[in-house]
Amino acid sequence: MSTPQETPAGKHRASQDAPPAGNGRGGVPLVRLVHAGKRYGAVIALQDINLEVGSGEVTCVLGDNGAGKSTLIKIIAGLHQPSSGTYEVEGTPVHFSSPREALERGIATVYQDLAVVPLMPVWRNFFLGNEIRKGPGIDIPAMKKMCKEELMAMGIDLRDVDQPIGTLSGGERQCVAISRAVHFGAKVLILDEPTAALGVKQSGVVLKYIIQARERGLGVVFITHNPHHAYPVGDRFLLLNRGASIGYYEKNQVTRDELTGLMAGGAELEQLSHELESAGGAAAEIGRSLEEDVEELGIAHEPTTTTESDAR
Amino acid sequence: MTQTAEAPVAPPPRSDERLGRKSPMARLLARPEAGAIAGAIVIYIFFFIVAPPFRNASSFASVLYVTSTYGLMATPVALLMIGGEFDLSAGVSVTSSALCASLFAYEFTTNAWVGVLVALGLSLLIGFINGWIVVKTGIPSFLVTLGTFFMLQGINIALTQTITNQVSSPDISTLDGFNSAQKVFSATWTVGGVNIRTSIFYWIVFVIIATWILLRTRVGNWIFAAGGNPVSARAVGVPVARVKIGLFMAVGFMAWFVGMHTLFLFNTIQSAQGIGNEFVYIIAAVVGGCLLTGGYGSAVGAAIGALIFGMVNQGIVYAGWNPNWFQFFVGALLLGAILLNTYIRRRAEASI
Amino acid sequence: MLRSRKRAASLALFLVLSLVLAACSAHGGKKAAQAGNNVVAGHANTKHFTVAMITHASAGDTFWDKIRNGATAAASKDNVTLKYSNNDDPTKQAALITAAVNSKVDGIAVTDPNPGALCPTIKQAVAAGIPVVMFNAGSGNWQQCGGMAYFGQDETIAGIAAGQRMAKAGDKHVLCVIQTQGQIQLEQRCAGVKQGFGSAGTVTKVYVNGTDNSAVLSSLTAKLTQDKSIDAVITLGATYALIALQAEGTTHSTAKVYTFDTNAESIAKIKSGAIQWAVDQQPFLQGYLSVDSLWLYLVNGNIIGGGKTTLDRPVVHRLHQRRQDRAVRSGG
Repeated sequence: MSTPQETPAGKHRASQDAPPAGNGRGGVPLVRLVHAGKRYGAVIALQDINLEVGSGEVTCVLGDNGAGKSTLIKIIAGLHQPSSGTYEVEGTPVHFSSPREALERGIATVYQDLAVVPLMPVWRNFFLGNEIRKGPGIDIPAMKKMCKEELMAMGIDLRDVDQPIGTLSGGERQCVAISRAVHFGAKVLILDEPTAALGVKQSGVVLKYIIQARERGLGVVFITHNPHHAYPVGDRFLLLNRGASIGYYEKNQVTRDELTGLMAGGAELEQLSHELESAGGAAAEIGRSLEEDVEELGIAHEPTTTTESDAR
Repeated sequence: MTQTAEAPVAPPPRSDERLGRKSPMARLLARPEAGAIAGAIVIYIFFFIVAPPFRNASSFASVLYVTSTYGLMATPVALLMIGGEFDLSAGVSVTSSALCASLFAYEFTTNAWVGVLVALGLSLLIGFINGWIVVKTGIPSFLVTLGTFFMLQGINIALTQTITNQVSSPDISTLDGFNSAQKVFSATWTVGGVNIRTSIFYWIVFVIIATWILLRTRVGNWIFAAGGNPVSARAVGVPVARVKIGLFMAVGFMAWFVGMHTLFLFNTIQSAQGIGNEFVYIIAAVVGGCLLTGGYGSAVGAAIGALIFGMVNQGIVYAGWNPNWFQFFVGALLLGAILLNTYIRRRAEASI
Repeated sequence: MLRSRKRAASLALFLVLSLVLAACSAHGGKKAAQAGNNVVAGHANTKHFTVAMITHASAGDTFWDKIRNGATAAASKDNVTLKYSNNDDPTKQAALITAAVNSKVDGIAVTDPNPGALCPTIKQAVAAGIPVVMFNAGSGNWQQCGGMAYFGQDETIAGIAAGQRMAKAGDKHVLCVIQTQGQIQLEQRCAGVKQGFGSAGTVTKVYVNGTDNSAVLSSLTAKLTQDKSIDAVITLGATYALIALQAEGTTHSTAKVYTFDTNAESIAKIKSGAIQWAVDQQPFLQGYLSVDSLWLYLVNGNIIGGGKTTLDRPVVHRLHQRRQDRAVRSGG
């Protein structure tokens, strides 16, 4: 389907080394992966990934299905440990053996399936794992009130916090999950494809919350396969393909079109250019100029699969 | 698209036009116990009409006694079901506990209470083993406890026979401590001329405790989550494995309690006792609104389910019918209860 | 430091010891029961034989313990290896008989609660050259099945005798409690009771789940509540008589309690008058004679009974039956 992957060293405008610590709005990055990789037996799920996010920043992780995004999330969330490289939280290397440990360090993950229990009421879901205690039991009126207030502060006006969360729309559930993470003191928010199943307007609402979270000083790792959603909110962009990084850019280093193009069809164009060149004659001319364009755009070594659809 | 940083503005308070007025009736119908309550009322009226002896107080005390023998075990079994697991060994482990206490105290000629303590240890251990295997291997609890069920069934009979050359436990009524144990576990109080067994009060107390745990504590929240979506629960930090093991051990604890009640009531235990009861407990829980898939249900509902059982069990005899109809009733009850619960829940949601 | 640790250790030891001592019971238990009680009569030096005993005992039915004890006693005396197996399902019991035949035992002792299902298999055993004695159930047609001897009571005769006694005592409505469905000897007993009771009144049968004490209790409680005209209860096993007494306590019933078969506890109740009397069929003797008769046949060609049922004569226990008490307490 695509050209064999060479190590993409030096082929891109962006540096493949980890950007110097302390980039962004200052201070030690909240989360930093340095040359991180993950193997499952003979299968290399991730290799040589560099990523960081600091306080008040959004790092977007882009890539199609199968690119290794979910493995990356699991490593940051504490579900798995990296087989190689280091994972640093606020400058110190960590080894999380459970999601609970990551949570305690302030790394909260909002999964695609939202980590909610559909049959339980909204307020019970909101406080799951963080129930407000009162004596031997829990303080239910306080929790219901706080849940309603928190959601209101995020602009969600719920009908009734007692209703099972499964009855909410997809967008509302996303917002509950995000506000839950924000409320419980997350320092880093990892959002796993939050807009994947949403319509245009609801996606806009989610993006708004991402920005609000950023303004509150959180770091956000925003995973998506939609560059149109990623570009407006992101400060950094990591592109994944088949477990490897094919680009890691600051916002000022790439335009939206370039980003889209990178995810679009660079490898196909390169293959086409080689074929045209080997045909000789006028075709070779076209091939050569095509190859130059591809080089200029820096979009070589890209697979050709659909990238821009919301469909899964 | 940039956004100016500003504090989010809370929208002005207004009554939500989407929120219709929810009548008290609709709120009641939305509870998991609704179907069970309706069924219990229907069955009570039915037997009241059809069986004259059903009507007086001492017959109802007998109904409540039968209810309590099922209801005591149905309570932790319901909690376990809400937590997403089954325990098919619940019936025979009651007998295992009773046999353990009896045989230990008899063989070593100890105080009866020593046997009681040893049996407690055994029952908690059985619960722990069930839970641990389920949690560690991921094999469905239905299968794991089916295995324990058969093993305990065999152990009960074979071990009793090996130790005492009999298939029932020996007479321990002459051991020290028997009388005091009897007073604790299987006493009878006479209230207004009616004999009421204390197991009824124990049952009510345990149901209250279980309901409080479920609805008003952290652990209760975790139980609902562990049953409703264990993956999500684990992801937000709920210790799902510990919750499930704890629930299995709660079933073990109650098996001990009911075993002690049976032992000190009858003095000898038949080693083949208890087989078949595990399904009654599950049916009582389902009648009470517990979903087979977990994550939803109530302890009060299971108590009402047990009450329905008790009423049918005794009512059939009071009505003078062939007691074999009880089996048929149990099956019809299960189906009817599930249909009724589903119907009521749908109507309750539709009326919102 | 060391002294206080030593002191703590000796205190702990003292506590443990006193707990252990307190834990021992001064009364009852195995120690008390072991005060002499086995029927042992030495050991024959005849050739070694294997006898299979196959009964219809349901798992956990305590009555069969006595039969088994008798069989074991005879086996140990006769240098016989006893292989005991049981199943209350006739098809499964037949399969056990076939298994015994296939393992080429020297003799078979079998009960026959369901002649239709078991007779063909018993005939096969006889045809294979294995001597078969029958006991406890199947008194009606054991000869046709090919049995060599039969040890047991004629259930109907015992039932009639019981019914007549109750009629004489002035009872009007008898409740006959059957602990298992589908067993011919239990049905024969109640049928006999009805026959013997005759025109003195009515006899009602009630079936209970014999392996579950709680279920028996609740069934009897309900029945006694539902029908206040019951003034006599006869059970077919001693355990059930005791539960019947408990049920009467709850319902304040004044019905008299009678029973077939005894155990140590029920003897005590007979002495105190709570149970009127018990018809005992000497199960120990049945088990004993079954094995012993096979041994006699194999060693010496003797057949007991001359083709007729060897009745173990129903023994009726009433107050002050000391010799029978001892027999019962020793498992006989």
